[in-house]
Amino acid sequence: MILSLGWKNIWRNKTRSLVVIIAVMLGIFGGVMASGIMQGWIEQRIHTSIYNEIAHVQIHDSAYMENEELKNIIKDYNQVEGVLDTMKGVTAWSPRVKLMTMAEIPTNGAIGGLILRGVDPEKEKKVCEIYRNIVAGDFLEERPGVPSIVLGSKAAETFKLVNYQITPSKLKAINPDDFPDEVIGKVEKGTQDNFENKRDFEKELRHILSKDEYDEYATKLMKYFAYYELGKKMYISLPSKGDNELISGNFAVKVNGIYDTDNDMWDGMNAYVDRQAMNKITGLTDTEVHEIGIITPDRETGVNVAKNLGKYLPGYHIMSWREASPEIAMYTDFSAVMAYIYVAIILLALAFGIINTMMMAVLERIKELGMLMAIGMNKKRVFGMIMTESVLLTLTGAIFGMVFSGIILGILGRTGLNFEMFSEGFEAMGYASLIYPKVSVLDYLITTLLVIITAVISAIWPARKALKLNPVEALRTE
Amino acid sequence: MKVIEIRNVEKIYNDSEVKVHAVNGVDLSFDEGEFAAIVGPSGSGKTTLLNMLGGLDTPTKGEIFIGGTNISTLKGSKLIDFRLHNIGFVFQSYNLIPVLTARENTEFVMQMQGVSKKLRDVRVEELLTAVGLGDRFESRPSRLSGGQQQRVAVARALASKPKFIHADEPTANLDSKSTENLLDIMEQLNREEKITFIFSTHDARVVKKAHRVISLEDGKILKDEVRK
Ligand SMILES: Nc1ncnc2c1ncn2[C@@H]1O[C@H](COP(=O)(O)OP(=O)(O)O)[C@@H](O)[C@H]1O
Ligand SMILES: [Mg+2]
Repeated sequence: MILSLGWKNIWRNKTRSLVVIIAVMLGIFGGVMASGIMQGWIEQRIHTSIYNEIAHVQIHDSAYMENEELKNIIKDYNQVEGVLDTMKGVTAWSPRVKLMTMAEIPTNGAIGGLILRGVDPEKEKKVCEIYRNIVAGDFLEERPGVPSIVLGSKAAETFKLVNYQITPSKLKAINPDDFPDEVIGKVEKGTQDNFENKRDFEKELRHILSKDEYDEYATKLMKYFAYYELGKKMYISLPSKGDNELISGNFAVKVNGIYDTDNDMWDGMNAYVDRQAMNKITGLTDTEVHEIGIITPDRETGVNVAKNLGKYLPGYHIMSWREASPEIAMYTDFSAVMAYIYVAIILLALAFGIINTMMMAVLERIKELGMLMAIGMNKKRVFGMIMTESVLLTLTGAIFGMVFSGIILGILGRTGLNFEMFSEGFEAMGYASLIYPKVSVLDYLITTLLVIITAVISAIWPARKALKLNPVEALRTE
Repeated sequence: MKVIEIRNVEKIYNDSEVKVHAVNGVDLSFDEGEFAAIVGPSGSGKTTLLNMLGGLDTPTKGEIFIGGTNISTLKGSKLIDFRLHNIGFVFQSYNLIPVLTARENTEFVMQMQGVSKKLRDVRVEELLTAVGLGDRFESRPSRLSGGQQQRVAVARALASKPKFIHADEPTANLDSKSTENLLDIMEQLNREEKITFIFSTHDARVVKKAHRVISLEDGKILKDEVRK
């Protein structure tokens, strides 16, 4: 009875109720979208970070953590191997030799620092997704002769291995969804077809494109027309096992692969070579490594596996992704806090709206409320009626808001949301520019619950106002 | 048996500078099945007296018994519950719930009383037919004339099977034809349902229909005559 009366009462003032419903709907939509984007963003960031960079768990020798030197290897590799092969929750693991090095390409005079990662390619592929982000060449495929090195796209710039070529075949192969015709036309009619380096091409694009076009498409165009020069010989100075770690050998490699991740910083520093080839110079044996990266089925398990490994391998430094990248762990927590703050703001606005609406609903019905109390509607029922109206009104908006957000997020979750215009800034910070918003069922349930609670709390004041009415006086009002 | 007994009731309004003795020492009683009018000029205390009878207002002095219960001592939700189960109300300005149909308005009090759906349906049908609205069950108040709305209000007041019907100037907003019609219906229900009606009025045509007329002036009973 109260429910159907409440529902009917809502529709007495259709405009006002619709305004509230739409406001609630938009509020929920905004809240869900904001937290969805935020979570999707952070989620991708964490995924990239874990699967490209830090894995779920890392093992080092304690000494290596102090000093990243050649000699600070994992002391008892066979013991660690034994534990890893039997431990539950370990999906895959990969041993690495990891050294800070200087590299040089004599033919063009480029010099730069690299973190050189000597890996077993097949094992590494199970732990690290860099091989999926290859934009030129391949990831350490077997070749006779000089061993291969895989550089990041940013390092390729440092070592002057990138130029930009606007070739007819590339122009033809453009996916028309990626760039508008005008932009392609402008690029085609540009002053020249070849650019020695990124700066020149950037200058050209700034010149020929409008500001908006530049902001939106420059990064994408630079990626598309980038031409990586493969096969160049590079020399890397490596220390070798001995009493004093003096620079001992020149490790000759050929640039046979370029990868590109969302993280420019990573791409600028980290290079991959075959561990065995590297060992020939450093003198390390097959069981002498600096780092072991471990992948577990999920992040939660990662933290647990790290804890368990600590028990079985007491002498080693073992860290989960949380410790390996406190920044990532912080973002995870931060995004939750941001979502709460956003939701709190929306709920606060909602509360004001409801108080206002319900107050009006009470004030314009004083006479009727007086009559209801006169004919025997007790306080509990009057209170319940006002509450019901508030909750029904809000819930209607909330349901529409959820359905609406659900649909939009469902679509965006598949297509992704493009932030390409900020892409350069994002990628410099290690964030993807295509975001797949993510909202869990639990988030929806919590939001609904919070909205209902807000509706109830906000209706208390107007409802009390109704309860304080004196039927005789209320009936006398016109 | 006395349905209502009022003993030495006074009501003094203190809220303004001057004290107003709205009801000043009234003794009254009503038998079951009476059809009584309280008459008097405006300001004579009709509303004040009726409101105390109906448990809407409390007397400053004196006692009011309804069906043997001293309602002057009831307070808060006890008083509301007492009204729900014992008194039917008809107001001057109809006061139906605008979002409910004639049927739902009539049913409403019974729902609060917890009467089963089956019994409610029977009673609503019976009452709305009795007040001549057999064909307007599903109409909302805004689609009904003033007279029709007041007839729904009478049906609603009767639906809860109260000890008496409280009607403060029920015809004040009606034209003479609707007034006559409403009074005929009230009289008929009074006869058939053996239900007590106490209504106030200052309209001579209404007074004519009453079986008992209690004249009030300055809060005191001037005359109390039984006509039929
Ligand atoms: N709430 C009130 N406060 C003060 N005086 C009141 C109040 N209600 C009624 N009165 C006064 O009591 C007297 C009786 O009023 P009322 O019972 O409404 O008379 P009637 O219904 O016969 O017109 C009047 O003088 C009126 O001004
Ligand atoms: Mg009056």
